[in-house]
Amino acid sequence: MYDFIEPALFAVLTIATIASGAGVILANRITTSALLMAFTFLNVAGMFLLLGAETVAMFQVLIYVGAITVLILYGVMFTPQSPRPYGLFFQTQKWWAALFVVPIAIFVALVSFTFRDSATLAPKGGDLLPLATSVFRDFAFPFEVASVLLLAAMVGAIVLVKRDEE
Amino acid sequence: MAVPLGAFIAVSAVLFFIGTAGVLVRRNAVVILMSVELMLNATNLALVAFSRRYSSIDERGSVFVVFIFVVAAAEVAVGLAIVLSAYRNRPTVDVDEIRSMRG
Repeated sequence: MYDFIEPALFAVLTIATIASGAGVILANRITTSALLMAFTFLNVAGMFLLLGAETVAMFQVLIYVGAITVLILYGVMFTPQSPRPYGLFFQTQKWWAALFVVPIAIFVALVSFTFRDSATLAPKGGDLLPLATSVFRDFAFPFEVASVLLLAAMVGAIVLVKRDEE
Repeated sequence: MAVPLGAFIAVSAVLFFIGTAGVLVRRNAVVILMSVELMLNATNLALVAFSRRYSSIDERGSVFVVFIFVVAAAEVAVGLAIVLSAYRNRPTVDVDEIRSMRG
């Protein structure tokens, strides 16, 4: 009876994702781009929820919508707004671009919709337990390497931005 | 589960192409970073879709998504640091103007 809810939610999320994603690269003001990027990430988090991956959706909201958007907004704050926002190529080659894009679009659509949907549905009960089991049992070493990578990136970012005192 | 898997993959492909177009067309370094984030997020969507629909016990795709989160955070931090230090040397973030390393 309520079978229409999930496709309706998916349609709304799809339109919002693609529209705001296109807005990111079409907007003239960089602040608009950054906030539309945050909205795109929020909609992708909604798609994760539709797929039944609640933990990944939570990470998405925490890391992308929270941390990365704030970081990008700081970057926008520290840099000037460019007077020439677009590149100077592609404007004179519309027909070549269309000729190049249309076969790729058709190919992608064909490949996308020929996947055989698996008969077994995803297991109930959320994805936190299998995700944590995989990360901390099978992928424990990459997990530690990831923490070292984050530490190195943090130190590197501080060193790059730090002003020379002398 | 009424939404087919291909629909999620199609949305992921469209989002990835939007990010690619942003990297190619925009000349502001911060907007290029944003477009790279869009591409990474499209990849995450495809990985989660395949992981939820095909694997019954473990969540290998979601594990990869978690590692992509980590790498994306590191990438955007170092990228913004590079943009800021480049802006300190030359007062522009236009990647067509930053050409001191061009041969």
